[in-house]
Amino acid sequence: MNPVYAQGLLDVDFGLFFWVLITFLLFLFLLSKFAWKPILNALGEREKVIKESLEAAEKAKSEAEQISRDNEKALKEAESISQKIRKEALKEAETLRADRIEKAKVESEKFLNQARSSIEQEKKQALIELREEVSRLAIGAAARILDEELDEKRNRKIVDRYIKELN
Amino acid sequence: MKQFLRFIFLILLFTTGITVISKADSGNENRVDLIGKVVDHNYLDFKPLATIELPRLIYDDGSFYFYRSTTSLLNTSENFTDAAYVDFEPTVEEGRIVPATYNIVRTDGQPPAFDFSITSHLVFFWIAAIVMFLIFIPLSTRYRLGTGRISEPRGAFQNLFETLVVFIRDDIALQNIGPARYQQFTPYLLTVFFFILFMNFFGLMPWGVSSTADITVTAVLALLTFSATQIFASKDYWKHVFWFPGVPVPIKFILMPVELIGLFTKPFALCIRLFANMASGKILIFSLLGTIFIFSDLFGSGVAYGTSWIWVLLTLFVYLIKALVSFIQAYVFTILSALFIGLSVSDHSEEHAH
Repeated sequence: MNPVYAQGLLDVDFGLFFWVLITFLLFLFLLSKFAWKPILNALGEREKVIKESLEAAEKAKSEAEQISRDNEKALKEAESISQKIRKEALKEAETLRADRIEKAKVESEKFLNQARSSIEQEKKQALIELREEVSRLAIGAAARILDEELDEKRNRKIVDRYIKELN
Repeated sequence: MKQFLRFIFLILLFTTGITVISKADSGNENRVDLIGKVVDHNYLDFKPLATIELPRLIYDDGSFYFYRSTTSLLNTSENFTDAAYVDFEPTVEEGRIVPATYNIVRTDGQPPAFDFSITSHLVFFWIAAIVMFLIFIPLSTRYRLGTGRISEPRGAFQNLFETLVVFIRDDIALQNIGPARYQQFTPYLLTVFFFILFMNFFGLMPWGVSSTADITVTAVLALLTFSATQIFASKDYWKHVFWFPGVPVPIKFILMPVELIGLFTKPFALCIRLFANMASGKILIFSLLGTIFIFSDLFGSGVAYGTSWIWVLLTLFVYLIKALVSFIQAYVFTILSALFIGLSVSDHSEEHAH
């Protein structure tokens, strides 16, 4: 019969301790260097790329929104400006027309006045000439009537006085 | 139907296994060394196929001794012998001395200065290390070549391990250590997690041994976590240990020894928790199967055969629990390590929440 010497369950075996410690530290070093570092770096890189592209997409989206908002705003502004310009143009045309009409009125008034005054002048002139003619004719007639009784000078004086009294 | 057939097959498999064990033991005294199934050995047990003896490395009296196996040591060495053969005549089979206890001592009965022989737990520890290497080096190559770095991960292999790696990084390291320093400890936590996971899973395989059911292995892991908490500890951490802030002075004196003991209970608990969980699962499985033989002794083999399916089903259940526990214990060890490291490296100076 083989005697059975059960090893204690709680015995710490220093040979095993030594080997396990050495192996674990060695593998910790090797795995950290050749496995965990590349894997964790790759994961980190991937996560960074995903995060960045998400952020970029978000940024692009907000930018596009901003641009469309800007466009809309610009369109509205342009519309209001064109409205304003049209209104102004209309107003200006109106004023211009009114101006023209006014001017034409003034001009025609002026011409009319001028014509009137020149007619007046002519009339006066004609009247004077007519009086003179009349007076000459009257004198002539009177001279013929009186038969040269009166001298020219005195008759003239009489006629002039008469004409003055007429006025 | 298919599932039912599979179920029947499993029952048959277990029953044959038990029959083989009972036949193998019937020659002896029907005695199974239960603790012997859990503790470390100097041989790999592939019963009933083979038993592979492992090399012996012994340092004594200033020189190293190397032997291919325990049998070769017993047959060739003049300095060492089996502990059982110091006082008794060695057992000889087929002209060779066979090992009795595998416990090697000097011929004067004293233990050698340092016995760092390869043991079964060590072999499975190394297998776990190699498996990790075989998994994570190709995985890192994939990442280095671009799959997963500039594109999404492809395939079950990469997705599975990436999920675990990201889980440990985000939910264990980042959560417990904080954004400032978690990157420094993530490699350690990853290594610990996968090491423990693979070692636990080896215990579920036929003839496999889970090295985590050995207190030496868990002690090394706990020691490393302890070292990390001591080496990278912040000034604030030591202040909390020796002069607890924010409490009256007499309380500070009471808290100092409590905190000092706490320094060592944390890694001790880590070590014991993992070891006890893994060892107890195995002992439980053997005990449940052993019930069949106890019934055979008490009520006769007929009752034992009749009720064996109950114990086999229970064993199956415990086996599934053990698979779950393998995962949970790896997770618990890692998260507690992260928690302790986080407690020690974090700087509380900005938050006075005590």
